[in-house]
Amino acid sequence: MSTVWLPCGDYHQDYAEDQGWWQARFIKFKMILLLAVVFIGIPQFLPEYYVSVGTMVGYTAMGALGVQLLIGFTGLITLGHAAFIAVGAYTSTLLVLQFPWPGFIVDWGLAYPISILVAAIAAGLWSVLFGLPSAKVKGFYLILTTMAAQFITVDFILTQYVSQIGGRGQAFSLPPGVIKIGPWAIDTDLKIYYLMAVLLTLMIIVLANLLRSKPGRAWVAIRDNDIAAEALGINIVRYKLLAFFVAGFFAGLAGAFWVSNTAALSPEHFPWFWSLWLVGVILIGGVGSIHGAIFGALFMVLVMEGLQWAVIPMSEYFPRMLMAFASIKDAAFGLAICAFLIYEPNGLAYRWWQAKNYFNLWPFSY
Amino acid sequence: MKNRIRSLLVLFLALGFLIGVCGVAMAQEIKIGGIMDTTGATSDVGKDYAIGMEEAFKYINAQGGVNGKPIKYTWFDYGYRIPEAITKYRLLKRLGVVAIQGWGTGDTEALSPTVNKDQMPYVSASYSAHLTDPAKTPYNLFFSSDYSTNARAALTAWFDHKWPTKKDYGKRKPRLACSYMFASPYASAPIKALKDHAVMLGFDIGDDQDVSLFALDTKSQVMAMKTFQPDVVWHGNTTMSVAATMRDSFALDLGADHIMNNWALDENLPRLGGEAAEGAIGATPCAFYGQPFKNMDIVVAAGKKYSPGVPQEKRLIRSIQAWGNALLLWEALIRADKAGDLTGKGIMQKGFESLRNFDIGLGAAPITFTETDHRPGTGCLIQEWKDGKFQEVANVNLKQRWPEKWEKEWLGW
Repeated sequence: MSTVWLPCGDYHQDYAEDQGWWQARFIKFKMILLLAVVFIGIPQFLPEYYVSVGTMVGYTAMGALGVQLLIGFTGLITLGHAAFIAVGAYTSTLLVLQFPWPGFIVDWGLAYPISILVAAIAAGLWSVLFGLPSAKVKGFYLILTTMAAQFITVDFILTQYVSQIGGRGQAFSLPPGVIKIGPWAIDTDLKIYYLMAVLLTLMIIVLANLLRSKPGRAWVAIRDNDIAAEALGINIVRYKLLAFFVAGFFAGLAGAFWVSNTAALSPEHFPWFWSLWLVGVILIGGVGSIHGAIFGALFMVLVMEGLQWAVIPMSEYFPRMLMAFASIKDAAFGLAICAFLIYEPNGLAYRWWQAKNYFNLWPFSY
Repeated sequence: MKNRIRSLLVLFLALGFLIGVCGVAMAQEIKIGGIMDTTGATSDVGKDYAIGMEEAFKYINAQGGVNGKPIKYTWFDYGYRIPEAITKYRLLKRLGVVAIQGWGTGDTEALSPTVNKDQMPYVSASYSAHLTDPAKTPYNLFFSSDYSTNARAALTAWFDHKWPTKKDYGKRKPRLACSYMFASPYASAPIKALKDHAVMLGFDIGDDQDVSLFALDTKSQVMAMKTFQPDVVWHGNTTMSVAATMRDSFALDLGADHIMNNWALDENLPRLGGEAAEGAIGATPCAFYGQPFKNMDIVVAAGKKYSPGVPQEKRLIRSIQAWGNALLLWEALIRADKAGDLTGKGIMQKGFESLRNFDIGLGAAPITFTETDHRPGTGCLIQEWKDGKFQEVANVNLKQRWPEKWEKEWLGW
């Protein structure tokens, strides 16, 4: 632990120090402040609507973290991530609704927490299955194989078979009180937000730790030059599949969490467009950075919500704007991606890094 | 100087008065939200519905709103994306709406636990029977017969009136096949009830065919159906894909009759299907646009007044359906307001659930809601596109025909 208050320049002397979580007291203070904002400020002081917007930011970030790991850190382009989120959501729902849990598991509110874990593992393994072609193909070809995950998983398996379980038709509905963690039923926007905040924080900690360990270095090496990485002795197939597993695991967590937010589920919740949206999130937020996934999610959700608030008063004069709002939103999404790729290809995370560096040396920068 | 101060004081007082008056006016406004699909998978029927809904609220305000209180109607297009519908719902809640006019089955069912928790009356364009049991979905309603009732009624009408005219009648069981988008909760909602009804009437049931809501080519599905040689095909999708399936059935000489849910049978079906649409039979929860029924003159006049840019000849039954739900909500709000309780619970109990055989006109069946049953009617009018116009096949009353099953078995699915 450093004794300095402000991170004023780089004085790291070894790798451990360079990768340390708390490089200065200021950073520790900053992180505690951030946690206070996330866990106390937003849920306790903002109206319910903004809390639910925060939940959407979190859900988007949870999905984007997996995409970031695959695209940003390992160089494996994916356009089928919604499928893995769907696997997580369906596994969790089916376990909660259909699995013959012993009475004490249900009474103690353990069915949903266990289902989250199993859902994450199932989605991770499913993701590995669709990651297998990455041993042979990359680039555009890999995009197509990951897209196959969407069509095979959501449009075929989930729609034609899994949705039929229980005889309801296509949609599962979770009765109130079923989604329970311990004694707490996850039935209010506030509780859903807290669940999201805890899961997202854990995911960020896990991913950040993985990235500064051996697998993380291997992933980055594969991304930068897979042939050179193999020449250095890295088993690239193994590490690529590990990346798919971790990304799928995160997607599974996101899907299992999503169930608590809607209490209902159908294949329509996981359109292919959502996979594309998540790629847009990391492009805007910044490829190759955990911050990028968070900033991208913040940008995409908050800007779109802001757009909504802008459209409401304008609709008095241009009533057709409401009719075309979904198209306006899609256009804004496309425009934002174009604008970022042209003017800030490194994304919002790079701007954050620049601002941080500026203030690290402020007011005596030179 | 004194004069200037006095002028400023008067100005401030006037401003204060104006703000006060506006405040009172705002306070008396009743906010209603809308979640519509004008760009997504069901926009082929959703656009006209959204236009009709907006016109209906303009008309209602022109009539003095709810006991003199104007309605502020704010709606959004959610593009038939469920996560989007959820965020829109929360936004509308944030805006302080007291009730919502919703759209599809997927999002209405997904939002159902939330609207129940929030005690938000949710009048939907989804007529899924899963929304009719108040024990499970106490805040969901609609003016129309539900999809399961539609399916049972359409099959019954075909069985009674068309099957006896076939050459194999009396020699073998009739054969039914279903064509719909498996992944769509709307399209799949009545399938279980339809098959239950088919078994009860003695049908053989073939394999279901998965047809996307966006489908333009359905030859492979029609070829698959052809091996089963169905006598009648149930179409569970919306107009565009049903027209495509009927065209392909005609081209490939399937030789079956076509019965369909209400969101498939509209004025566009013959336009898109051409001669293949001849004989299309479907559930019609209300009159087609412009048909001579009570209150239709109001709808047509409002259409001309508020949407002059939309040609009258292109208006659809979807507008009438929107008016049906709008008039239903209007009446519930009037009753709840008279009772002095415009909360969600008040609107439900003192508004909707006080309706007994309430007639909205527009060719719709009289509406009754009770605290144990949110099926608004007991049957459905079945019509057929024949000789260039829609003609009545039968007005099927399921409750009259199967009273015990209607009361004890069929609620909520």
